[in-house]
Amino acid sequence: MTMTKNLLNIENLIVRFYTYEGVVEALDGVNLSLKEGETLGLVGETGCGKSVTSLSVLVLVPPPGKIESGSVIFQTENGNIDLLNQDEAFLRRIRGKEISMIFQDPRSALNPVYTVEEQIGEAFIHHRKREIAEIVLEGIENDLSKGGSWKDSIYRLEKKIYKKMLKNPNSFSLKILSKIPIVNRYQGRLKKEVRKEVVRILGIMKIPDPERVVDMYPHELSGGMAQRVVTAMALGCNPKLLIADEPTTNLDVTIQAQILELIRELKEKFESTVLYITHDLGVVAELCDRVAVMYSGNICELADVMEIFKRPLHPYTQGLLESIPRPGRKFTSIEGEVPSLINPPLGCRFNPRCPKAMQACSQVKPRLLEVEKDHFAMCHLYQGSSK
Amino acid sequence: MGLRAYIIRRILLVIPILMGTTLLIFAVTQLFNPVARASLYITNIQQFTTENINQVIEKHGLNDPAYMQFFRWLSEVLSGNLGYSRTARQPVLQALITRIPATFELVMFSAPIIILLGIYLGVKSAVHRDKPIDHATRTLSIIGWSLPTFWLGIILLSVFYVGFQAFPPRRLSPTTYNFVSMSGSYVRYTGLYTIDGLLNGQLWITLEALEHLVLPVLTLTIVIVTIIIRVMRSSMLEALNKGYIIAARAKGLTQNEVINKHARRNALIPTVTISGLLVAGLLNGVVITETIFSLNGIGMWAAAAALQMDIAGVLGFTLFSGFLFVMANLIVDILYAYLDPRIMLA
Amino acid sequence: MGAKSRFREFKVEMGPTVKEIKFMLGRIKKSPLSIVGMAIIIFFIAVALLAPILAPPGPDWAVYETYDPMRIPRDSYVSTPSPPSERHPFGTAEFQYDLYYGSIWGTITAFRVGLWVTLASLAIGLSIGVVAGYYGGIIDELMMRFTDIIMAFPGLILAMALVAAFGATLDNVLLALTIIGWPGYTRVIRGEILRVKQEDYVEAAKAVGCSDLRVIVKHVLPNSIYPIVIMASLDIGSVVLTAAALSFLGLGAPVDYADWGQLIARSQNWIYGNINDPFSFWYTFLIPGIFIFTFVLGWNLLGDAFRDIMDPTLRRR
Repeated sequence: MTMTKNLLNIENLIVRFYTYEGVVEALDGVNLSLKEGETLGLVGETGCGKSVTSLSVLVLVPPPGKIESGSVIFQTENGNIDLLNQDEAFLRRIRGKEISMIFQDPRSALNPVYTVEEQIGEAFIHHRKREIAEIVLEGIENDLSKGGSWKDSIYRLEKKIYKKMLKNPNSFSLKILSKIPIVNRYQGRLKKEVRKEVVRILGIMKIPDPERVVDMYPHELSGGMAQRVVTAMALGCNPKLLIADEPTTNLDVTIQAQILELIRELKEKFESTVLYITHDLGVVAELCDRVAVMYSGNICELADVMEIFKRPLHPYTQGLLESIPRPGRKFTSIEGEVPSLINPPLGCRFNPRCPKAMQACSQVKPRLLEVEKDHFAMCHLYQGSSK
Repeated sequence: MGLRAYIIRRILLVIPILMGTTLLIFAVTQLFNPVARASLYITNIQQFTTENINQVIEKHGLNDPAYMQFFRWLSEVLSGNLGYSRTARQPVLQALITRIPATFELVMFSAPIIILLGIYLGVKSAVHRDKPIDHATRTLSIIGWSLPTFWLGIILLSVFYVGFQAFPPRRLSPTTYNFVSMSGSYVRYTGLYTIDGLLNGQLWITLEALEHLVLPVLTLTIVIVTIIIRVMRSSMLEALNKGYIIAARAKGLTQNEVINKHARRNALIPTVTISGLLVAGLLNGVVITETIFSLNGIGMWAAAAALQMDIAGVLGFTLFSGFLFVMANLIVDILYAYLDPRIMLA
Repeated sequence: MGAKSRFREFKVEMGPTVKEIKFMLGRIKKSPLSIVGMAIIIFFIAVALLAPILAPPGPDWAVYETYDPMRIPRDSYVSTPSPPSERHPFGTAEFQYDLYYGSIWGTITAFRVGLWVTLASLAIGLSIGVVAGYYGGIIDELMMRFTDIIMAFPGLILAMALVAAFGATLDNVLLALTIIGWPGYTRVIRGEILRVKQEDYVEAAKAVGCSDLRVIVKHVLPNSIYPIVIMASLDIGSVVLTAAALSFLGLGAPVDYADWGQLIARSQNWIYGNINDPFSFWYTFLIPGIFIFTFVLGWNLLGDAFRDIMDPTLRRR
């Protein structure tokens, strides 16, 4: 592999789901890497494991799922860290701040009983308390300097509280203070600043009239707006890695175009690395630098976006590209069905449907090898010619 | 629409329901003969002698067609005359008023325990699904819910009072009761011995009243808390399955924050609606509990009235319960709208 | 279309339903609580069926009613209960009614009350609910107001009032409990009908020409079976409890009738025992109570197990 810095390296990730109907081998040794600043598209059919992969990065695979083995190596200021070895406290610092996720169905990702401000602001309060405390302190100094009002003693008290917040945002004494009825009014300043931030972020998301939207409840938002809100939630803390899990699947085509445009702009503006999950090859062509094709729990091909479209190596990718309807061409599809992951086929999981299947395919599982420069494929067809 | 408009609309809806309930009660009264029904109109036992019984019937038109009787009866009810109760030897309204404090005292201690304990155990049960605490809670829950209230009361009474001489029935011991009614140094402020004891500066009365309340509160609580636990648990499980839970975790929130802030608020919504059932359960339970422990509240009176065919008493109590229940449901609906902004879309 | 192919079609149609039922039966077998529940119920069914053999009525007793095995016999008129002995395995209640006999035959009463009231409430409730849901409009409004009115009262209290009005007999208790019982089912079935009415497949069925009634019967009822089954099995328990409470208050079965609640009512004077031994009359309230508790527990366990099994979120796992 090339030596430009990898922000994320997933190695041999195995995830299983223990259901009443049997053990589902959801991820069968997934290998994936993301370079800093790039947009990697993760393409595959429904059920191939794309979402599970993304949840694994955040170590949020819900039960009955379990991450069995492998590593998720993420580049932090302190070097490369395997997220699967970290404790909850560390992961909580990463989630929402270093790595964020945009969810597929914006409506179900938003809690119906809280306003937009409360939900976006939650991430800010959790991760950026120090920053906001600084801004608040400036404001308090400002008020104090105006001087002469009876509120000065209150301001001085607030100053002490926010100085404490600056030092240790999660201190126990602050937690207690926030529960006492009249005393916790000090949080008013914090909330004001947070609200300003939220409005600002909504503006970046090109949401019209953010001052009003901020007070709305999720059910009052249209699909497109809800998705922008969810995007704002993810980008609010300026994450290094943004995972977008099919953000436009549930939206109208016109809204889809808008959101894509938005994501493209945000990508440039925030210089974030994006893992874009989708089943739509068209979107991939528009947005991504590199593409990983996933089938049935494995990455079967990984290459530059242009390369993938020009010279797909893996028979599955070839089948996918063939099946894109084009005027003048016969309508084709890949034969067969996606296999059950409880009893997956032996060897290469695609072999029952593969038009180029050989003897070895149903016996030995192929490995993801670099067939050409920066073009990886997991297929016995190329086992001999790897570099 | 805003919360205020919703509240107003909901309050207006109460009126037809109350009308309907009075209609139902009235329909029940028509099952009795005119002589029996006369007790619904008089307020003084002296008026009710064999001589003037026909006069009474004439006066209140108890032989007239039903619809006329209904309006007459309704106007009596609305002016506070619910008739005369044989078992209480008082007019019904007065019987209710004098007996409410005892019932209120019982409910005052039971309800908060039921609500808080129910929510707490329901949440814990759901969050730690299929772990020991869940199994323990559910087992105790099913047992509690299968217990006949009256049997539980009898067993508790037998074990604790008869067996250990602790937690006697009735509201106070006979000597204290004498003191309270005869002595000049005790003033009845609220009718609740626990509070009046404090207000009179006689702490021992409060403590004694509390001692007498232990078993009744226990009886009432054990049976009803199971309902709350069940609903809270299932709605919590549902809430924990929702997408916004994973989204919240993805933001980096702690497990506690996720549960308390996100899941619980959503789970409280169906629980609040079930609080209507809580009130019903309390009203039902109070009848039995007061009877067993001889607490002189409206429940005990209702049971006696039903047994002795004291129509005014029974129906007065039923009407009152219905009214209370409707009001409780009103409050529940308003609380629900406050918790769940989606409802106001409707 | 021949009958044979129709049948084949039916089998195909029922395929997923059958698979679902098999899946659920499997789950029932795996859940220990439901097995316990079923065991309890089967036990009580056996007791009820074998009552004449387990506790034969008739000339054995000094005082008995020839025509009605449901009236508990006794050997004398002494008021003080006597403890368990060979002749009276569970002892006797106040006025010497045999507790063993009462408990055994009380099982029949319990089944009678539970099943009768539940089935009657179910039948009435479903019919009214279907009519309300099907016709909609003013009929729906009227029906729902009616159910609202009944549900505006706490159950036991309205039942008390009704029994007081009708007269305190066991049959009137059944009547009263049915009256307060049917609205619950009406609400459920009507809710289901309204929900299903909005579903796309109803539109599709209508587009193909099905009448509304057919849609309801074919689509709504099978889907709403689950909540109704759960409700019914939990209802049996609660009906028996309420009936027992009414008997306890003196508003149900008469004094010598074989009814568990009534037996406990008889025990009220004896809770305090006598001076030497406070628990001397434990059998008068403990034994009938255990019967009630276990009976209701069995149905509740079953209903709860049903609820867990039919819980859609649980199925996915």
